[in-house]
Amino acid sequence: MTGRVIVITSGKGGVGKTTTSANIGTALAKEGYKVVLIDTDLGLRNLDLLLGLENRIVYTIVDVIEDRCKLKQALVKDKKNPNLSLLAAAQTRDKTAVNADQLKDICEELKKKNDFVLIDCPAGIEQGFQNAVSGASEAIVVTTPEMSAIRDADRIIGLLEAKEEIENYRLLLNRVRPNLIKSNEMMSVDDVVEILSCPLIGIIPEDTGIITSTNKGEPIVNDETALAGQAYRNVAKRVLGEEVPFLDLDEPKGFVAKIKDIFAKLKVKV
Amino acid sequence: MEKGFIENGFIINLSTSRNTNQLIYELSNILEHPDVKGKRVCLKLGSIDLKQSQLLSIKALIEATDAEIAFIETTSEQTEVSATSLGISISQVDNGIDVPVQDEKEELETDIIPATDHIGDEEEDDDNLESQRTKEDVADINSEETEYKIIFAEEIKEINPINTLDGIEDTYTESSQEEISQIIPAENADADFETFAINEGLIKKEEAGKYILLDTGDVLPTDIAENTKDTKDLPTLYLNQTLRSGQTVTYEGNILIIGDAHPGSEIIAEGDITVWGILGGIAHSGCKGNSSAKVRALKLNAIQLRIAGLYARRNDTLNVPYVQKSNNFTPEEAQIENGKIVIYKKLRRD
Repeated sequence: MTGRVIVITSGKGGVGKTTTSANIGTALAKEGYKVVLIDTDLGLRNLDLLLGLENRIVYTIVDVIEDRCKLKQALVKDKKNPNLSLLAAAQTRDKTAVNADQLKDICEELKKKNDFVLIDCPAGIEQGFQNAVSGASEAIVVTTPEMSAIRDADRIIGLLEAKEEIENYRLLLNRVRPNLIKSNEMMSVDDVVEILSCPLIGIIPEDTGIITSTNKGEPIVNDETALAGQAYRNVAKRVLGEEVPFLDLDEPKGFVAKIKDIFAKLKVKV
Repeated sequence: MEKGFIENGFIINLSTSRNTNQLIYELSNILEHPDVKGKRVCLKLGSIDLKQSQLLSIKALIEATDAEIAFIETTSEQTEVSATSLGISISQVDNGIDVPVQDEKEELETDIIPATDHIGDEEEDDDNLESQRTKEDVADINSEETEYKIIFAEEIKEINPINTLDGIEDTYTESSQEEISQIIPAENADADFETFAINEGLIKKEEAGKYILLDTGDVLPTDIAENTKDTKDLPTLYLNQTLRSGQTVTYEGNILIIGDAHPGSEIIAEGDITVWGILGGIAHSGCKGNSSAKVRALKLNAIQLRIAGLYARRNDTLNVPYVQKSNNFTPEEAQIENGKIVIYKKLRRD
């Protein structure tokens, strides 16, 4: 078996790389594929928190590289889904503890026994980024519809294009707010795709559920009712090659909004 | 601070305090003011119930600033009884207060000394707990003369955050140490403490509840021999700081940290680990195979506890990333027993 190695990157921090990694990984594992998530954000690890696995980590990627344990020992199995495992980053070390070749070796080894290896890349374009990208053959670039995030994503795409190993890269637009787009306060999906001229793999709506899910340590794809969860499940399907239409993000009007509308109409009449 | 006179004295209004902690805290803040020195003080205590020991502490606090209690005002019967037995005169609010006032204008200002705002002062609590506890202990000796009360001060939660005032420490530290050493000889203090506490039901062994044992012998390489050396003989590293995420402390001996260890930090010691605060990170005591090493903290909230070759992880159901700071923490101690990590915790009797 040779698995696919996908790096999830963005350039800018705080756009949702880690959330995306956790959710796509969980969604793929739910589909029955064997998935390994690698956190390469040494010193600022978060992926374990999002998956709720912090208390299970004994060995980290640095222990594997420095030969203190075997790779198999360092893989932390998910609480719910045995198909999903995590290779955690060391919290007490920095990016220099790992180099690109070492990470490439780890990816090669994990590829043999898993369908997917997802690499959560740190923010920035320095060594951390270079390490994370080294073993990957595909990339998902996460961005938000803000000028700064788009500018950084553009830079990242340029760097990815320069790498021979990266066969394809796709764009994931995160934290989209349809009502802001409607009122012309936020760039539309089409605008972003046009600016970056990059194929789109998914649109994730802004969802307050993400905050609770992060705090609970439970990826939002496990929540069947959440819109963001649905969007991430669709992204996973697209990763698998299925053609899934993009979600209709026009939210149905809530009860309060309807009442407000009625009052607005009444006022006009009066 | 507004200032007024009652025969060379002040009225301190503490009737807005909701509990004893707050009351003593506010009082100690007011007493820091240099003007209080050498004055007579009238305390408005409101409806708060004060035991004799607590009132004695308050009295001591005031006397430590060279001031003296003229009389107190209270609506609580309990406080009244306590005051009578301590020989403090009372003026009940309902009966109208007989306060001689020099100037009518100033009386208005006299009435209320605004209680200061202490949000953000919590950091200092830990440092002051010790001196405060000593004070409480002594208060208990005086009032009840039950020997063991010294150690198991009945209501530890009453320990109050107090800015240490000069004089208080001098007055009490010495005597309390004497008292304790009389009761328990230093060599077998631990053993006596444990037997007594278990008999009294003060200690409860928590096995399955909080931490569950995940695995054994996984932390250390197998070639390191297990031993049970006495950690008393090891040197101790003393740190007075907060340990933040990503920071590691490693030492070939015991580690004592005054402050919190945040999640993401690591403490690795060959001997014992003691955290005077909340332990939220990873702690590994006896890292060279010493299975008699212990981990202690005011609040053991460690994501993982490792002792020698064993490790226990926090139960998934207890997924609380941040612990609210409190003065009511009951110290906890983890150690290996029959090949398992167990946590001892003193139970509060309330």
